[in-house]
Amino acid sequence: MGAVMWIEVLSRHGEVAARERIEAPEARVGRAFDNDVVIDDVHVAPHHLRIYRGEDGELVAEDLGTLNGLFPEHGAKPVPRLSLAREPGIRIGRTTLRVHDSAHPVAAEKLLTPPRAHARWAAGLGVSLLLVLLLLQWLSLTAEASANVVLLPLLGYGTALVLWTSLWAMLSRIFFGQARFSLQLRIAITTFIALVVWGQLAGTLAFSFAWRDLAEYAGLGAWAVLAAACYAHLHAIGPRHMRAAMGLVIALVGTGAAVQYLGASETRKLLGQRATLGELRPPEFRLVPLASADAFFKKAEGARLSVDRARVKEPATGGLLSDLDNAE
Amino acid sequence: MPSRISPWVAAALLPICAAAAPPAPPAPEAQRTLSNAAERVYDLAKPRILQIRTLLQAAGRQSTLGSGFLVSADGLAITNYHVVSQYALDPKTYRLEYLAPDGAKGTLQLLAFDVAHDLAVVKIEHTGLPFFEFDPRAIDNRLPKGERIYAMGNPLDLGFTIVEGTYNGLVDKSYDERIHFSGAINPGMSGGPVAGNDGRIVGVNVAKRLDGEQVGFLVPARFAATLIERARKGPPLVLDKAREEVGRQLDGWQSAFYDALKGEGFRTAPFGPYRGLESAAPWMTCWATTNADLLPKPRTAVNTTRCTSATGIFVSDRILTGRVDLSYSYYKAIDLNAFQFATELSSHPWTFDSRGGKRLTEQECRDDFVAAGPGAGPPLRATWCMRAYREFEGLYNVTLLALTQDHDREALLAQLNMQGVSYANAVTFGRRFLEAIQWAR
Repeated sequence: MGAVMWIEVLSRHGEVAARERIEAPEARVGRAFDNDVVIDDVHVAPHHLRIYRGEDGELVAEDLGTLNGLFPEHGAKPVPRLSLAREPGIRIGRTTLRVHDSAHPVAAEKLLTPPRAHARWAAGLGVSLLLVLLLLQWLSLTAEASANVVLLPLLGYGTALVLWTSLWAMLSRIFFGQARFSLQLRIAITTFIALVVWGQLAGTLAFSFAWRDLAEYAGLGAWAVLAAACYAHLHAIGPRHMRAAMGLVIALVGTGAAVQYLGASETRKLLGQRATLGELRPPEFRLVPLASADAFFKKAEGARLSVDRARVKEPATGGLLSDLDNAE
Repeated sequence: MPSRISPWVAAALLPICAAAAPPAPPAPEAQRTLSNAAERVYDLAKPRILQIRTLLQAAGRQSTLGSGFLVSADGLAITNYHVVSQYALDPKTYRLEYLAPDGAKGTLQLLAFDVAHDLAVVKIEHTGLPFFEFDPRAIDNRLPKGERIYAMGNPLDLGFTIVEGTYNGLVDKSYDERIHFSGAINPGMSGGPVAGNDGRIVGVNVAKRLDGEQVGFLVPARFAATLIERARKGPPLVLDKAREEVGRQLDGWQSAFYDALKGEGFRTAPFGPYRGLESAAPWMTCWATTNADLLPKPRTAVNTTRCTSATGIFVSDRILTGRVDLSYSYYKAIDLNAFQFATELSSHPWTFDSRGGKRLTEQECRDDFVAAGPGAGPPLRATWCMRAYREFEGLYNVTLLALTQDHDREALLAQLNMQGVSYANAVTFGRRFLEAIQWAR
């Protein structure tokens, strides 16, 4: 058997702290210096483990009768013996080890990102974002243009972007060791573009299909964009702990969306729907056929049923409740 | 600005309320001697007029003050509905009391009311007291303009007063029949009598204009005479059902109003290259505004015409209803592109409150693109919004908006508001309004 095994001792943060090549068919692990792998952990016995090959050649770890025992890496119960073919990780004392066979498969080579690629992407996207924002501002300009009107919002957006990116870069620096500012900036700008596009799309569709509800609840879509952004930011920090991170993101974004939904429906209950035509687009954006007057008044009947139902209910309570019902 | 002050905001009813502003110091008045006639009329009226107080049951203190006058030997008296509205709508919280010029006090019973004409009939316990008679010339509208008449009441709780003024006929361009009284009537005189030289009743004090001097309004005597008849002969008012009675009267009023609107006929008026509905009723008054003289020079020309019925029915201090407004704004881009023009249209002012409250439900709206007319009119973007009156079943406040969709740099924005309208009338009038939006050609 010319097979080789590798025993890796992991640090507290999960990085490989030491890696031993073992050519013998069996390896011993413990605190004593006559072991093949020596571990400085007071909770590890002088002779803690024996790692050998089982009958069909797979690696097996065996507890040598210790006080604290042997655990699978993520397990909570000690086991006397553990096959390492599937899960290479074991825990003894407060130390995590991984044992790999030389035949252990490794991921394919990852394409090298050319230097400053993220920075270049970020710059390109940033310019596009700026152009989109300027275009939108120009399209909604109904008075004379002034530097205040045009530049102040841009300054605000720019500051927000930098703050948001710095936050993620800082987290990345703490957990990954590298800030990767340009990658995080690239993600942040992409998110911003997606938010702007979603806002415009929702407004346009609300007009095109005469869907008032879409305009009222468009904020929910923005939360989905934000969720995707958080995922991308976390992924950039490092692929480890993704499951926990995803849980956190889903919880955060779910809470945000729920709060927003409750807020929107509460607002609707308290403030009612405003008598406006909403956000308008040029007439060419209409995507539904013209309704007949009959069809329109049939819809109006729906509003009547709705207010008739509300009439017999207690009025919603809240600070925004109208005191003077005809205040104008 | 004065021409922009629309009549419906300027008319004020005249009870004194707990919430009213503190009395302003009296203006120094030129020495004026009352004519002998006024002395005689007041002498005659003194045992016949009353101050009518609405008291908060729990505190026993006054909440609203008004005036009233006796019209029969069995103790029936006339006042304004708005003087007793709190009691009528909430008899458990309030009670009614009167005070006579000789200091006599007593409780009052509410027998009948007419919300549309703002009148109520109350009864005092005493019988056999002197009372006013109605002037038959006033009942038949035969009083000559310029005749001296005398308004009485207790203004601002300062004491019983007689005010000399002039009869100026019925108010022009008004759906409600109101006498134009040129004389000073003030809060607290609401419901007080207005008599001629012979001490016979011509009308009842009801309101004054805040933007004019000595412009007062009276309810013509004949409505009071009719209500007295009704109080005598009709079924007695059940206080617990007073709200339903108010609802019935509001429904009756709106039904008559929309019939009258239809009866007066409609025409269309041009607004730029479009036409829109206009009422031929003389009491629909219209005002026009433009933004052409604004600085900096606007990038969209907006010309607005707004017509209003100027009707207003006081139901309670929180509900004023019964108005119809019709407005058209013609927008034309001067140097805006289609998107900018759409943004400009999106920011059109929204006028009506949409909040839910104690008296009205929150507003519900429905939107669509509509081809309303039977012919080939411009396509419309339309929004229908409504709120229901919680206390009055079948009555709504409705707003209907329509924007023409045939050009991307000019458009007509039309708006119809109807307060206190039945659903059927709202739909009938709303449909007519949408169908009338056409090209001028």
